Amino acid sequence: MSNMNKTIKELHELLKNGEITSEELVKESLEKAHQLQEECNAFVTIIDDANPEKVTDNLLSGIPYGIKDNYSTKGILTTGSSNTLKDYIPYFNATAIEKLNKAGAVKVTKTVMDEFGMGGTGTTGHTGIVLNPWDKTRICAGSSAGSACAVAAGVFPYALGTDTGDSIRKPAAYCGIVGYKPTYGMISRYGVFPFASSLDHLGVLARNVEDCAIVVDEMKGIDEKDMTSWDSKNINLFANLKEETEGKKLCYIKELCDISSYPNADEELRLHLENFHKTIQKCRNLGIEVEEVSVDRKLLNALFSSYIVIYSAEASSNMSNLTGIIFGPRGNADNYIDMIKDHRTNGFSTLIKRRFIIGSYVLQKENMERYFKNAQRIRRLAVDIWKDLYKKYDAVISPVGIGPAKKIEDINKSHDTNTVTLDEYLCIANFGGFPSITIPNGFVNNLPVGVNITGNCFDDSNVLNIAYTLENALGYKNQIAKEVKNNE
Amino acid sequence: MSKFTKEMVDDYANKLLIGLTEEENKLVLDEFEQIDKQIDLINEIPNIENVTPMTHALDNFVTFLRDDEAKTSDDIDDILANAKDVEGREIQIPKVVD
Amino acid sequence: MSKYEATIGLELHCELKSNSKVFSPSKNSYDVTPNNNVCAIDLAFPGTLPVVNKECVKKALMMSMALNCKQPEYMCFDRKNYYYPDLPKGYQITQFYNPVGTNGEILINYDGKEVPIKIHEIHLEEDTAALEHLYNTTTLDYNRAGVPLLELVTEPCITCAEEAIAFIETIIGMYRYCDISEVDTKKGQLRCDVNVSIKEVGSNELGTKVEVKNVNSLSNIAKTIDYEIERQTALAEAGQYDEVVQETRRFDEATGATIHMRSKADAIDYKYFPEPNIPPIKIDAQWLEDIRREIPALQNERRKIYTSEYGLDEYDTNIIIKDKKHADYFEKCIEIGIDAKTASNWFIVQILGYLNKNYLDITEFYLKPEDLKVIIDEINKGTISNKQAKEIFTKACDEKVSPTKLISQEDSQISDKNKLEEIIENILNNNQAQIESYHNGKTNLFDFFVGQVMKETRGKANPVITKEILNEKLK
Repeated sequence: MSNMNKTIKELHELLKNGEITSEELVKESLEKAHQLQEECNAFVTIIDDANPEKVTDNLLSGIPYGIKDNYSTKGILTTGSSNTLKDYIPYFNATAIEKLNKAGAVKVTKTVMDEFGMGGTGTTGHTGIVLNPWDKTRICAGSSAGSACAVAAGVFPYALGTDTGDSIRKPAAYCGIVGYKPTYGMISRYGVFPFASSLDHLGVLARNVEDCAIVVDEMKGIDEKDMTSWDSKNINLFANLKEETEGKKLCYIKELCDISSYPNADEELRLHLENFHKTIQKCRNLGIEVEEVSVDRKLLNALFSSYIVIYSAEASSNMSNLTGIIFGPRGNADNYIDMIKDHRTNGFSTLIKRRFIIGSYVLQKENMERYFKNAQRIRRLAVDIWKDLYKKYDAVISPVGIGPAKKIEDINKSHDTNTVTLDEYLCIANFGGFPSITIPNGFVNNLPVGVNITGNCFDDSNVLNIAYTLENALGYKNQIAKEVKNNE
Repeated sequence: MSKFTKEMVDDYANKLLIGLTEEENKLVLDEFEQIDKQIDLINEIPNIENVTPMTHALDNFVTFLRDDEAKTSDDIDDILANAKDVEGREIQIPKVVD
Repeated sequence: MSKYEATIGLELHCELKSNSKVFSPSKNSYDVTPNNNVCAIDLAFPGTLPVVNKECVKKALMMSMALNCKQPEYMCFDRKNYYYPDLPKGYQITQFYNPVGTNGEILINYDGKEVPIKIHEIHLEEDTAALEHLYNTTTLDYNRAGVPLLELVTEPCITCAEEAIAFIETIIGMYRYCDISEVDTKKGQLRCDVNVSIKEVGSNELGTKVEVKNVNSLSNIAKTIDYEIERQTALAEAGQYDEVVQETRRFDEATGATIHMRSKADAIDYKYFPEPNIPPIKIDAQWLEDIRREIPALQNERRKIYTSEYGLDEYDTNIIIKDKKHADYFEKCIEIGIDAKTASNWFIVQILGYLNKNYLDITEFYLKPEDLKVIIDEINKGTISNKQAKEIFTKACDEKVSPTKLISQEDSQISDKNKLEEIIENILNNNQAQIESYHNGKTNLFDFFVGQVMKETRGKANPVITKEILNEKLK
């Protein structure tokens, strides 16, 4: 008997009718978590003493969920998947967790991520690589790797993620589920470990758009502890969720979506783009207008470098509090400088250290103009282009990544610039704070792939409704990962 | 001759209070080269210097300021719970001499 | 006369008065118990975020306006990145690119003239934690971490220690007048960095700048400046000016000398960038106007009025304007019609004397300006002597009774036995003939003596006591 593959609404009905109890759900979820941990290494912490919650009218009450390990959870180990915080137990909750507590949601796991959210592979966490439940020779992508893995594997109906470049939306695609990050500031960032504050978004991974709407409705709201949060009481995602095609206009970017941009395309990329264009056709069949638009290639190709420059700079500063003095393991040395150095040298993974140096370099007085400010200028130019598109279109639709989940051994494989741009360009939604959702749109080599819809700031309901409409038409809703054996 | 050197990378690492292995140092150098090339491309964008850098995610924040009300101090046990070396009500570190 | 002249610039850090800290709701107050005014934000626990205190912004804007600075359209904050154990975040939130005030100028009263001092900028930032050094360890107290600071930077336009001190005293006065800070130097609420260079007299080219960090009292600031001018001038005169290098020094209290700390090559690049967690805050024009209206008349303005309109001398004026509450009291006296010079005398001699003697603040002082006026009016009417007036003043203050009441008692009857004895003694001394007649049997002269006492006291002597005393004395 399995309940954890059901939707939130279905579970709520069962709980309300007394056909199942919160206790049973928690038990099942924990069992599945332990099983998945063996297979895919998705969790930093499995909360074995999780308490069932009273079932109320709140749709989330009594239902288990997972939390990315960068959300502060009071009294529960919170590591950011980093050795620098491998023993850190916060004494307060992130605002989003506080809100879900009030809703009666039951936290059952803390999920593995790329260390502090940096790196999109799910391979840099201090507890090891997270494997893709569809194919264990492949990654889940990241940084919300454990959350995507566990939701796809049916451990719980939803898990929380964060998204600084595509950290919710890409692992969702690679795992065949839905990943949604709302407009910047709709959910308070208080208590969530920062990666790059001007790009950091909170969001959710689930198996259908409706569940995303339900969860974000609970998480969102202005918070006096976060100056970048705003009042969204006029936005009711779940209540307003409906299929809409009438008058809806989407666009896709020719330079990104046309196979001619990729002379060296492998089979996976070719099939992925073909599949994307099938999705476009499906939209048109539904009565949604879709147009092709063109964006300056030079600007598109500058997005990824700009993204690295901005996030490296912000991250190197954000993580300066990690010294092992107030929290985290103490470094070994008889003077404070070497003590901090020891903590940081042993605590951070290679990737983070490398990015810190870049971040520090681009912020130096003599380099600031050329690197950091130019990157922020690219951000401005790109966001302005997207905002112009939103004058005419409800959203931009695009393929997620360059195919299905990558093989673990291929994560450092180099690609030509255009391919890198396609793989990384979803960070445009972080540049502009745009609401952005990824839904599954089929399979390439028996592995799930995704399509992304990104709309204008504060237009979350519209974005979700388009995704909801498309999701129903595409037929990949509520997928649970089934292990496939490819190429063997 | 590259404008990025191994010594420079080590110097930056030092200022960030982190140590790098030889291999890490080399990876950073490679990344510098790549980013630098990309930045050259950015500089080809006409009049880029006239663009106002975008520093925050939203252009139209509705900002608020906090009223000047003091809250009681957090529990001292909570504050010190994660620190590895505590002396009385304070966190202790090796003597700071400079 | 030296052929060199000094150029001095100052950086003044002053802790602001507020209920809570600048970016967190912890209490902003000096506390001897370590870590007693702290929260997760002050210790930079992961995920915590700054939220800007409105009162601190208001006070920063007020000072910006009082210094005649230009205010920005948006209040913006930046990060200053460096590692030190007193800085839990690894960066300080400050204002680098767009400070709350730029390009200001104020007039200070120095050497009997009004001298302009140019203000480069003023910005709002947060204070650091306090380090306490033990035998071989250091402990960290975060009570001060996040306390609001205003940093004021002058242009290099000051020429000597006396001028610098006059400027700092003016600034302290402004902070106190505007109720922005108490500027309690004992609590370390004022800290100063001093920049000194010398150049040949008349030259437009500035010399090499030497910075002396963290000088914390007016007298040490003066000593620092004098020491540096002397040191640099001596080197220049010895033809060794190239030994004056751009460096940071510190003042050593024991020797009165400045000591090398670090050279320019070691200067930290603070990697300033806009604080992403604080969006630019639009400064509302109406709010700005409201704050401007709250700025009280400052010392300079009052000084002018006191000396030119009220005819007070510089010395008395400076005493009265030192504290705004004193000046306000004094001005109230004038407003209700007390003559300025009389008010000034009474204020300085009687009131300040009384306050000092009793360790009181003027806010705790019983006598209101109206009460003072009652006393002074009585003197002017001639009903009480100056001596009586002072007695009434002290009695009113001590016993917290209105002087009106005391004067009317004084008016109606003199019942003080000693006083009456004194008066009667006098009368008897002047009427020896009558005493002789009285003793010789002319007993109806008793009434003559009573009459004399009444005459002397304008009828206010207590007749019963008077008769008692007379009976005694004439026995």
